Amino acid sequence: MTIGAFILLAFVLGIVAYDWVSLRGKNRRAVLLEMAAFLVGALFIAFPDRATALAHAVGIGRGVDFLMYPIVIWLVRESLMTRRRRLEYDEKLTSVVRALALVQAKAGEVEVTPAANAQGSSLAPRQSAGPSAS
Amino acid sequence: MDTLASLREAAREHCVTVFVVDDGSEPAIDLATLPASGESFHVVLARHVTNLGQGAALETARQLAVARGFDAYVTMDSDGQHSATDALALAQEILLGADVVFGNRFLGDSNVPRARALLLFGARWFERVLTGLPLADAHNGLRAFSARAVQHIVIQQNRMAHATEIKVRVAGAPSLEIVERPVSVRYSTSTLAKGQSAFGAARIIRDLALQYLFGEAS
Repeated sequence: MTIGAFILLAFVLGIVAYDWVSLRGKNRRAVLLEMAAFLVGALFIAFPDRATALAHAVGIGRGVDFLMYPIVIWLVRESLMTRRRRLEYDEKLTSVVRALALVQAKAGEVEVTPAANAQGSSLAPRQSAGPSAS
Repeated sequence: MDTLASLREAAREHCVTVFVVDDGSEPAIDLATLPASGESFHVVLARHVTNLGQGAALETARQLAVARGFDAYVTMDSDGQHSATDALALAQEILLGADVVFGNRFLGDSNVPRARALLLFGARWFERVLTGLPLADAHNGLRAFSARAVQHIVIQQNRMAHATEIKVRVAGAPSLEIVERPVSVRYSTSTLAKGQSAFGAARIIRDLALQYLFGEAS
């Protein structure tokens, strides 16, 4: 095994150990899945010749390519799907926050314009201005 | 609050409702600190319990306005950059028959810093390519809409990309009369600190791209 392989294996072990410790007392099932995935990766690092033989068997040049192709494809897809999900959550959060704001604003109108309400005068003015504050 | 006071002063001859959207500020805006409403001047306060962004605040104000009805709807910033007189002048253009009035700071009495002018030059051409609208200013928060036009301006961009989104929606709406009018935009140290940077411009492009890729079809 080369020095590079040792460094990579130490890196993988370090990541798994860190994730395991940092999730103490929480659900660690995802770390177990990570361990399984990294174990496959570690085998490819430790035995590159076996990996290359396996890659050749399915018509791919190098063992590392055999791993890299599906990983890159999966990461690109995961990145796009994560962004989509985040946008959907943002839209849901916006809807909830806005609904609350609209309800409270309608309640607040009574306090802000007691004279107008008491007289029953128009709450539909001819002109409206909408400044935003943040 | 200065903006509200000047709006109240400038709007003596008009019936005006101001929708103030507190976008999750801490401490929250207190109703008692707002100018009291009168016969022809009303203030409606809406509060987002968490910060969503200027685009989200404008959409909340738009929905409040649509629910009440109006002849002219004006959007403006509340940090003192925009003048109440210009806001009313834009509303007047709507009453005279325009559907959408965009403020043009470069034709008004504005003190646009050189770096900001350069950024806006790029933004203007970006929006022109995107919308086809031959406008001379970009990302100017002072704008006015008719009741007909406002129905088309549903803002989905929560942050600063809403300004481009509004123009895209205006360009896509059927037969709206669109005009530009000179307005004054006064920059101060604080407004420049809160304004757009080159980094902000990159975020706007990212938000527009994400909306295009993943947003609801519209």
